[in-house]
Amino acid sequence: MSGPRTFTVRVDVERCIGAGHCVTRAPTIFDQREDGIVILLDAHPPLGELAAAEKAADLCPSQVITIEVAP
Amino acid sequence: MDALDFATPPRFPFRRSDPREPPGEYAAARATRPILPVTLWNGRRAWLVTRYDDLRSVVTDPRFSGAFAHPDFPSVTKARVVVDKQERAFVGMDNPRHDEYRRMFTREFSTRRMTALRPRIEAIADRLIDGLAAAPQPADLVAHLAVPLPSLVMCDLVGSPYEDHDFIIRCAAGRHGLLQTPAEAEQKARELADYFMRLIRRKEAEPGDDMVTRIIDEHVRPGHLSREDFAEIGAMILRAGHDTTTNMIGLGTLILLQHPEQAAAVRDRPEVVAGAVEELLRYVSPVQFAPRRVALEDVAIGDVVIRKGDGVFALNPAANRDPAAFVDPDRFDVHRDASHHVAFGFGIHQCLGQVLARLELQVVFPMLLRRLPNLRVAARDGEIRFKDDMQIYGVHNLPVTW
Repeated sequence: MSGPRTFTVRVDVERCIGAGHCVTRAPTIFDQREDGIVILLDAHPPLGELAAAEKAADLCPSQVITIEVAP
Repeated sequence: MDALDFATPPRFPFRRSDPREPPGEYAAARATRPILPVTLWNGRRAWLVTRYDDLRSVVTDPRFSGAFAHPDFPSVTKARVVVDKQERAFVGMDNPRHDEYRRMFTREFSTRRMTALRPRIEAIADRLIDGLAAAPQPADLVAHLAVPLPSLVMCDLVGSPYEDHDFIIRCAAGRHGLLQTPAEAEQKARELADYFMRLIRRKEAEPGDDMVTRIIDEHVRPGHLSREDFAEIGAMILRAGHDTTTNMIGLGTLILLQHPEQAAAVRDRPEVVAGAVEELLRYVSPVQFAPRRVALEDVAIGDVVIRKGDGVFALNPAANRDPAAFVDPDRFDVHRDASHHVAFGFGIHQCLGQVLARLELQVVFPMLLRRLPNLRVAARDGEIRFKDDMQIYGVHNLPVTW
């Protein structure tokens, strides 16, 4: 049995306030536009990035990051 | 805290029995009545939210409003009601208006732009520590460093002359006190907005490389933002940038000096600094009566129903000591991961300037401890004046020798 090798990240750009925690925590997954709003660089990062992505999602003050790990 | 039975709603705010610690009522409430009814100065009922998870859910729940002008919005003083009613900056707005205004300013405080300021902040801090080192001992660290560092950085960023910083600080203190009259608070709030309006007009005539000039070009001239709204937002930014970081530097230095081994780690190990700043923010939580909300409908939290029109203080100093979120929460430990603290608030109103605040603190503490390795507090009990008279907590003075 082989597990999934990536997971899924979604962001709700409309509700982002540009606090920037995600970029600090997971710079390979997130970036900020010039005006601070989130850019999703990698919607299907390798599982090794899961802990960083989950931390970013937890710290996001407007709670716009969703992490999904396929069963 | 067995003297507290909370049989009748106690009067809020509470007094601190230990000036370095949050009021003992917070821990007692968190353990027994985590959503605690209290009585405010005007006899109104409000609720204290003291647990970490509850704070995060309340401030992200649209059934609670953060509109300062709401007739039932809770406040700690009569004077604060007056300035809340006048607040026109996005700090006191709900969505969708909040995001529309805030997004005009996120660029100015982005991680990238703030990180580029680091050499400038280092130069300012270095020069101020030169001044402190040359002063007769004991010297007041608040006057020499904690006040002027955030002021100089803010003046630089905004484009306001540094000679004006005393005036700006007096306006912030006059509005953020706990003891001033409503008329005094209103006047100080108006004076700062008027000051910022003059600054806008000056930058329209003589543009510079600064925030005011950029916002004029990007948002005022194209008609997205009125001068009047910009003046209110600018006053809010000036107050926030001058007052809060100052208190973190003053009280943060005191706490570090009381934990010499941890101060040595901050001084000698660069990889410890960022985490130490998060722990100091958690431990100090200077914006002590925030975030605030008012219920727009009846909301049940656990076995408590917060009624429509009731005010809520989601207390970040209480949430930041919640053992469910931080192991052994009353222990100061620069080596813990405290990054999920809510000292900057949570939800859409989380501090706009938090990247700047972190950067200033990450620069100043290791530099101060390196430059003055024998730094110590030179005050007997009672000589340090804690800010029991202010809404933003900290120290008025910190006598030090080195």
